[in-house]
Amino acid sequence: MPQLGESIAEANIVAFLVKPGDNVVADQNLIEIETNKATMTVTSPCSGKIEKFSAQLNESYAVGAVLGQIEATKEEAARLGLDVASSKISDTDRVSKPDGNGSHTRVQPTVRGLPVPANAAGASYLSPRLKARMTELGLSAADLSGVAGSGAAGRVTVEDFEKFIAQLEKQKTSDASSMRVAVADAMRRSWTRPIAHVGMPVCLDPLFAFRKIARPKPGPALCALRALAVALAENRKPAGRLVGSKIVHPSAIDIGFAVEAEDGVLVPVIRDADKKLLKDLITPYNELVELARERKLPVNATGGSIATVTNFGTFGLEWATPIPLPEQTLVLGMGAARHEPRWDSSKGQFVPVMEANLTLSFDHRVLDGGAAGRLLQRVSELMSKPDQL
Amino acid sequence: MKADAGITYLDAIREAQAHALRDDPRVFIYGQDVGAFGGAFKATKNLAQEFPGRVLDSPISEDAMMGLAVGTAIEGLRPIIEMQFADFSTVGFNQIVNQAATLFWRTNIPCPITVRLPFGGTSGSGPFHSQCIEAIYAHYPGLIVLTPATVEDAYSMLLEAIALDDPVIFCEHKFLYYHLKAEKLPSEALPIGKARIAREGRDLTIVTYSAMVHEALEAARELSSEGWEIEVVDLRSVKPLDTDTVVASVARTGKLLCVGEAWPWGGVTAEIVARVTGEGYGLLDAPPQRLNAKDTPVPYHPNLWAAHRPTARSVAAAARNLLRQ
Repeated sequence: MPQLGESIAEANIVAFLVKPGDNVVADQNLIEIETNKATMTVTSPCSGKIEKFSAQLNESYAVGAVLGQIEATKEEAARLGLDVASSKISDTDRVSKPDGNGSHTRVQPTVRGLPVPANAAGASYLSPRLKARMTELGLSAADLSGVAGSGAAGRVTVEDFEKFIAQLEKQKTSDASSMRVAVADAMRRSWTRPIAHVGMPVCLDPLFAFRKIARPKPGPALCALRALAVALAENRKPAGRLVGSKIVHPSAIDIGFAVEAEDGVLVPVIRDADKKLLKDLITPYNELVELARERKLPVNATGGSIATVTNFGTFGLEWATPIPLPEQTLVLGMGAARHEPRWDSSKGQFVPVMEANLTLSFDHRVLDGGAAGRLLQRVSELMSKPDQL
Repeated sequence: MKADAGITYLDAIREAQAHALRDDPRVFIYGQDVGAFGGAFKATKNLAQEFPGRVLDSPISEDAMMGLAVGTAIEGLRPIIEMQFADFSTVGFNQIVNQAATLFWRTNIPCPITVRLPFGGTSGSGPFHSQCIEAIYAHYPGLIVLTPATVEDAYSMLLEAIALDDPVIFCEHKFLYYHLKAEKLPSEALPIGKARIAREGRDLTIVTYSAMVHEALEAARELSSEGWEIEVVDLRSVKPLDTDTVVASVARTGKLLCVGEAWPWGGVTAEIVARVTGEGYGLLDAPPQRLNAKDTPVPYHPNLWAAHRPTARSVAAAARNLLRQ
């Protein structure tokens, strides 16, 4: 289904103007379709033979949907740039037959249409004046989310903006703390990326058993932090950052952890967490927690980490979808521990285990669900042997 | 002067010249048929009789007229040159832009010439008698280019033009000659180089000059009945151009529409857009727009001519488009 015009998402099949087996030429009318605006025809993208129609009469199909298939000659496919699989072969063909048809070698544009409409409009368009006013007041685009624009395609005009500001002035307002503003800014920047989440339960029985004998006792969050460090030391790729077309690899396995402070969150960092054993991390970890709560973290104890661990279980939460820091790709979350029944096949019955949910939020540009899942699996596996961490 | 019928734009131009001839013995008028005949549009009617030897017929050579003007200016006189139509001033182009415009800069000798250009379209005038070429002269350093839109400005700005020591291109719009009337001539005026707010508004700024001021004002009246308040800025002088007043107006409205009767390629409207985007980018709540004549020679046929130039209707339509952005 071709793009039929702005704001048309789908169209209904009214009639097939040719049948399978027919030979067609480029731009020939093939299918009559109807949108909520007009009746139109789908034309043939190329010359060839109609192989089949997969679309059904009187059914509606979205723009981009496959309506049928045309068997095209190799030349025609090459002209359309569709001969990806055989492109190497046709390259050799060309070399051996330099006097071949010139149209084969015609360079096809990779981008069709402008990436951004030259006459930018719509809800996402901020006029220079609106931007200037927002800068003046220290606002960002996220602050406009509650404003219904009256401009073209719903854009917020400077008049809408002034009304919104005037309305706010009628309500009680208080100044957000600088900590709040900093967190807001970090989250807003982070949210410009496609953040996805995966999660799975981890059994904490081995950890609780280990805590009975270990002195000092490691907490679940630190155990998760150390497990993440080990897992990332084995494979640093998931912690890379995507900048343009480059993956920037982490230079050291420095892991941060979230500590709630008044009106915000601080993220102290454990440097080279992959190079120290769990037992050696406990004291520095506890010290950092204390310093963070007192908001006395030294400068070198924050920033520069490649991933963060957040123990939202301390709030009694079992599930959350945390957002990674803007300069990081990953945040590992840990939920509250609770007893769960788990099937024990050797005993043929359910047995109670201590479980908590592990979540991993990640920048989907850098890694996919599979890679995120494997990383989480590895963390879970490492946490099941805390004595070896 | 017909006091009861009101003073026309053309009367004002004649009166200003009479005033200047009376006040300053160095002033004289030179042009084709400006003497006994009183000028193609009667802008010098009876002046030859009133000021013998100072209102002189020239040969049919704009080149020679301008050459004489430069020579007499060097000798300390203050010539007023009447071109029959602005279109024909291009025949004297070399003398205007190469001699008159640069004289002071080359020699330190002032060049107080006033070149009157009856310009702009009227119904049926066609390609040789309708052109708006103010932007061509404005392009040259050393020239001042004036485009009065009212009877009062026609009078006071022509007086000021004659008094200036620089060469002035005085663009008087033929469409306004008989249409506009005022009760009396002004005793004071805004200085040259200062634009005038012809109508106050809050939703959109129309910047224009000369005859288009009146089309813009009519469009503003129409849009006012739809609830829009349009601010109309009359530039008065296209060179110097009063950027401050324009930018201040855009600061009030956030939207800019420039209207000109000249052709769309480059020109005064483009210059304004360039200045506002350069100096007041953060003031714009919509892309600045221009409305000009069509990019063809000016047609003869009245219907074609009406479609060729911006009118109150097309100005209002362009403004509505911009208001809906």
